[in-house]
This record gives sequence, structure tokens and C-alpha cells, in this order.
Amino acid sequence: MGTLIAIVLSAVLTNNFITAKTYGICPFLGVSKKTSSATGMGIAVTLVMVLATLVTYPIYTYVMVPLKIEFLEIIFFIFIIASLVQMLEKIIQKLSPSLYGAMGIYLPLITTNCAVLGVTELVIGDMSSYLGGASMNIGWAVLYALFAGLGFTLVMIIMSGMREKLNCYKTHKALAGFPIAMITACFICMAFTVFSYISI
Amino acid sequence: MNKYKKITLDGLIYQNPTFMLVLGTCPTLGLISSAFSSMGMGLTVLVILTLSNVIISLLRKLIPDSVRIPCYIVIIATLVTFARMFLDKFLPDLYESLGGFLALIVVNCIILGRAEAFANKHTVAESAVDGIANGLGFTVALTVMGIICEFFGKGSLFGYEIMTFKIGMLAKPAGAFLVYGICIAVFVYIIDGFERMRRVKANKLARENLLKEAA
Amino acid sequence: MTVKEFFKGKAFKCIAALLCVLLISGIFLTIMNSLLAVTDQERFDRAIKKIYGKAVKTEAVAVADYNSNATIEEAYKIKDDGNYLVKATGKGGFDNGTVTCWIVVKVNKGAVGGIEKVVIDSNSGQSYISYINDKFMAGFYGEYTAGQYFNPNEGFIKTGATRSATAICNAVNAALDYVNALFGNVTVDIYENCSYIENIDTRNTSHEATEEQVTFSIKTKSFKRAGEFSINVTVDKNGVITAYAITTDGSTAGYGKNIHPAIKDGTLFVGKNLAGIEAILDDGIVYPGDNAGTEISTGASQSNFLCLSAAAFAAANYEQFLTVEETPDDNEEGGNENE
Repeated sequence: MGTLIAIVLSAVLTNNFITAKTYGICPFLGVSKKTSSATGMGIAVTLVMVLATLVTYPIYTYVMVPLKIEFLEIIFFIFIIASLVQMLEKIIQKLSPSLYGAMGIYLPLITTNCAVLGVTELVIGDMSSYLGGASMNIGWAVLYALFAGLGFTLVMIIMSGMREKLNCYKTHKALAGFPIAMITACFICMAFTVFSYISI
Repeated sequence: MNKYKKITLDGLIYQNPTFMLVLGTCPTLGLISSAFSSMGMGLTVLVILTLSNVIISLLRKLIPDSVRIPCYIVIIATLVTFARMFLDKFLPDLYESLGGFLALIVVNCIILGRAEAFANKHTVAESAVDGIANGLGFTVALTVMGIICEFFGKGSLFGYEIMTFKIGMLAKPAGAFLVYGICIAVFVYIIDGFERMRRVKANKLARENLLKEAA
Repeated sequence: MTVKEFFKGKAFKCIAALLCVLLISGIFLTIMNSLLAVTDQERFDRAIKKIYGKAVKTEAVAVADYNSNATIEEAYKIKDDGNYLVKATGKGGFDNGTVTCWIVVKVNKGAVGGIEKVVIDSNSGQSYISYINDKFMAGFYGEYTAGQYFNPNEGFIKTGATRSATAICNAVNAALDYVNALFGNVTVDIYENCSYIENIDTRNTSHEATEEQVTFSIKTKSFKRAGEFSINVTVDKNGVITAYAITTDGSTAGYGKNIHPAIKDGTLFVGKNLAGIEAILDDGIVYPGDNAGTEISTGASQSNFLCLSAAAFAAANYEQFLTVEETPDDNEEGGNENE
């Protein structure tokens, strides 16, 4: 139970992917102009993060480590993620065209999203600071991926809300666009710094 | 020769990947708290980008169009894995300071972007120049921001302590966002200023020419 | 579609190209991996270099524990200068946590010459570990005199992480004991065979004995949230405590005032012998805190418990330290003890 709480708090708040690790900034800045699209992107990223971890973690621990081909992890992982995204796109298109309409356009962008490759690389690395005393297994890995994705979605939604409000005001020409978005992100990061005082 | 000059200027300034196109933001924001690691990241990307541009440009006639993206990804992933081994063996300090971002070079939009937008349409020499120019643009931008963040955030430069005054926030992701945003704004403002000056100058020249012709 | 068509078709070309790229990449990386593999020895050397500041040749030394306040994890002799590098986990940190340190012990003419460097490797549950600064660590560095022990309450810069500092001191002391033992100077713990020593820091405890009475200067270990206490207890030859005084109050900020007044001034213990003290202990009214109907549970039960432990230690062990005039051997022992 303690481990569960530690993982949830650190993945969502203290070590949030965007505000503490700066993973997945491209979609964070690119698709956060509207809350609806930010939510769609966040959910799509979370989904792919969970599925990717579900596939890569067992492959790494049960295939690559025994065969001593850990050095090929980047190629394997990026290939798995790319095919996963492609498959997911086709499946969603077949099963639920309405969902595809809402989410489909974000899926191809996810292949080159740091957050997905980042989480698969993180869970095979040293996670002892997140886990407390427990040892790593597939369950914790997927759980971590899920909550890291939810943390990502949370910050995406906060950011999009702020940007929607920002659109109502005129900014200096040089600051318009990315610069003002980054300064907004700076404030979100500062707010999230408070959570680093949580000690588990 | 003019062609190469244009490629170089585009990569360094007019289409600077960091300031103008805002690509490869994750490693930028994650590493600019230290000048050493940001410069190391810049140089690593410079080497990988140049190599991937050259290889992809060499293979552009051999790789069928429909599997082009997977092939590029495999080539880039190979180069990144190689870079990781190389740094681990010979530059362990840099390897450690780059941390997880080293593996994430694979999904750095700059590299796949240049492969897709430039290297698969141009000759090997042009692609190499483009890779070096873009890589340099990225390196210089990262190093400048790294120096700013480290100087004010940690009171040091490349690890050497200079002053005790420090603004801790600038060494954190929040400060990285702030410095990055302000740097983009300043860069764009300056480039815009130059462009305007050049346009004014060109207009003036054209008008004088017209007047001359009329006369 | 016939087989021939398939081989001429576009699909085959695509698959072939992709597989070729994959295969070449795989072969290239496998070769590079075997060429550029970093050996375990290299990784270890790097770790040592980080601690020691420069690349050094090392030789592993067998590990043994001579001090109950810390565990020696690893030890190496540095071939270049004969110094020892010891990894020790010190107990007694905040909330029963530990701090693991790398300690470079200088060797001078076949004996411990001093501490050259202390680097924190890891810790468990020490939330204020960041308060430990270089200036604090510098307190360890310097010449070493035989029998010297470090005490975080003396001669150190206050860092705000007293409990973590204690754990670090314990680790450093253990490393000194360990290297001393390597040179044959095993430090004998005179209280080793005493009873009730679970909460007593025997290394920093001393006593003065006459024929009539024994006065212990007891230093307790920390217990959960309560820090170390220094307590002077005098026991007469009948085993009755005649004086009890707390000299250093180790309770965590705010709890000191909750210590029961009868414990604070010692009246609870004075006049009692071991049986009397054990009666209090067995009642469980001091710790674990059972608030119902007792006058001793005060909200500082962990501090109360430590004070009681000190009294129990003194009352239980006074006998063996009483000076006996007839046998000169014992007198000698007494002399050693008073160092």
C-alpha cells in the first residue's frame, strides 16, 4: 500500500513528467492550445505509455537480458512503440470511428514523443527511489506508466486552460506564440515545485 | 558555393532548430541547468545528425518510399546506441550528466525532421553541411542558454564556482522554461529587426534604381 | 499472385530494404558492443575515482565488524599510498534510519593516521541529509589520536540534521575501529558483556568507581524519534541508585518539556535498585505508551524510555565495576576503563 501511494504521488506530482523531468514537451507546447485537444492528446499518450510498458518491460527482462542483448534496447523499444501506435490507430479506426475522430489525429505524433520512450527506459532502469522497499516487477512498471501518463494529462489540461485564457489578451509581438507559452509553463512548474516537499 | 552558404545560414540562424523551429525541446529544457551537459548534448546531436544525414542521403535511392520512416528510425537508433556506448566508454562524466536524455535523442524531432525534410532529397555533401549547420545551431543555442542558467542558477560556469549569489529556480525546469521562452523572444526580435532593416535597404535601392531608370 | 511476382513486387523490395537495414544495424552494434563494452572493473574504478578524487589501484580487504553502531560493507586497501577505503553503514539516524558513507582512512607508519575524506553514498529515510554540508564533513578530517571517537555534539558545526550526523559519526567511528583492528589494535568494549545495553552507546559511556559506589557517565543511543541523552547515574554498593542527573537532553525539539518531572530530576529512580527499575519497565507504563491510568506516560515516552534504560543499565551492571582493594588486577582494569 505504501509503495502504491509512493508511486502515485511521485508519478503524478513530485516527479511529474513535464514539470520535473521535462519529458514530452513537444506535444505539451504543440497541442495545448485547446482544452479538448489537450485532453485527447493526454489520454492517447497515457494509453500508449501503458501499452508500450506492458510490452517492452517483459521483452526486456525475459528476452533481452537472458540473451545479453540489452544494448539493442533503443532499437527494440522504438520499433515496438512505432508498431504499437500503428496498430492502435488501425484498431481504433475499425472499432470506433467516433473515438478515432477525436483521438486518431494525435496517434501518429506519439511515436516521436519522448514521454513514451522515456517511460519504457525509466522502468527498466533504477527505480528504487520510487519503490521504497519493493522490488520492480511488471505490475509496478505498468502502474508507474499509467500514473505518469495521468500526471502528463493533468499538466496538459492545466496548460491548455491557461493558454485559452491567454488568447483573450494581446501579448507583445516578440512574445507571442512559443515564448509566452513557455513562460506560462514556467509558472506551472513553479507551482508544482511545492509538491517536491512531499516526502514519502 | 552560394548554395552551401544558404544551407549554413538557414541551419544556424533563419531556421535555427532551437529558437526558430522550437524542435528538440525535451533535452533542451532538461539539460540547460548546466552548461557542460547542454554543450555535451549539443555536440552529441551534432555528430549524430551529421552522420544520419550522410547515411540517409547515401541510401536515399535504395530505400523504398513506403518504408522510409522505419528505416530512418532504425538508422538513427543505431547511431544513438553507438553514441551511448562510445560516451560510456570514453566520456563517462558526460554520459552520466546526460542521463536519460541520451537515449531520447532517437525521438529528437530535429534529427528525424532533417532526414525527412532535407537529407532524402539532397546530395551527400549538401546533407553533411546541413547536418553540421543545424547541429551547430542547436549546440550554440543550448550552450548559450546553459551558460545563462548555470551562471544565475548555480553561480558557476562549466562547474567552476564564480559567485555565491544564485537564483535556485533557474537551475530547475521552471527556470529552464523561463530562460528558453525569453531567449526565443529575444532571438526572434533581433532577427526580425535585421530582416526589417534589410527590407528597408532593398526597397530604397529599388526606388533609387527606378528613379535612375526614369531619369 | 505467383511467387515470382511477389519477388519482383514492391512489397518484397520494402521488406528486403527494411530487413537489410535492421540486419546491418544489428551486426554493427554487436561488433561495437564487444569493442566498447565497459568491464565491471572499469565501473568500480570509476566509482572509486569519484570518491577518492583520482584514479587509484585498489585491493579488496576482508570485512569484519568491531563496532555495533555501524556495519562495515566493503573495504579496500589503496595500493598507491597504503590508505584504506571503507564503506560503512552507520546506525542511529533519524527514525531508526541509516547513512552509508565511504571513508578514506589515512595510514601513517603502520597505524591509523587520520580521516582523509568522508563521502555519503546513500541513506535510508534521512529527510534532512541535505543539511550535512562540506564544513560538517571537514570536522572529521585531520590527525587521529589513539582511542579517539567522534561525537556529533562536540566539535562539529551544527547542521540541522543532528540525527543523520550521528549516523555518519557512527559510520566513521566504525571505520576507524575496523582499520585499527587491521593493524592489530582491537578496541575492547568494556561494557560488551553487560546487560541492558541495547539502548546504551557503550563507546561513549564511562564510569568512575570506588569501593562504595560507581558513577556512570552514560550516553544512550537514539531511540526512534528521541535522540541521545547523556546521563550521570551513581549506584552504591548495594545496587541502589543514589544520584541521577540528565546532563544532555536528547529529545527532539518540543518533546523535552514533556519528559516526566520525576524522570527529569531523577527522583523516580533514586532509592530504587534493579528490581525497582524493572518493575517500572515491566509495567510498560513508560514505553510502549499506554496512557491509561499512569502518571509516567507524558507524551515523550521515547525519551522517558531512554532515561529508564540508562537507569536499568547502571543498576544492573554496577557490581562488576566496583573497585575491590584486594586484587591488583582489577585495579588495572579500572585504570583502563577511566581513559
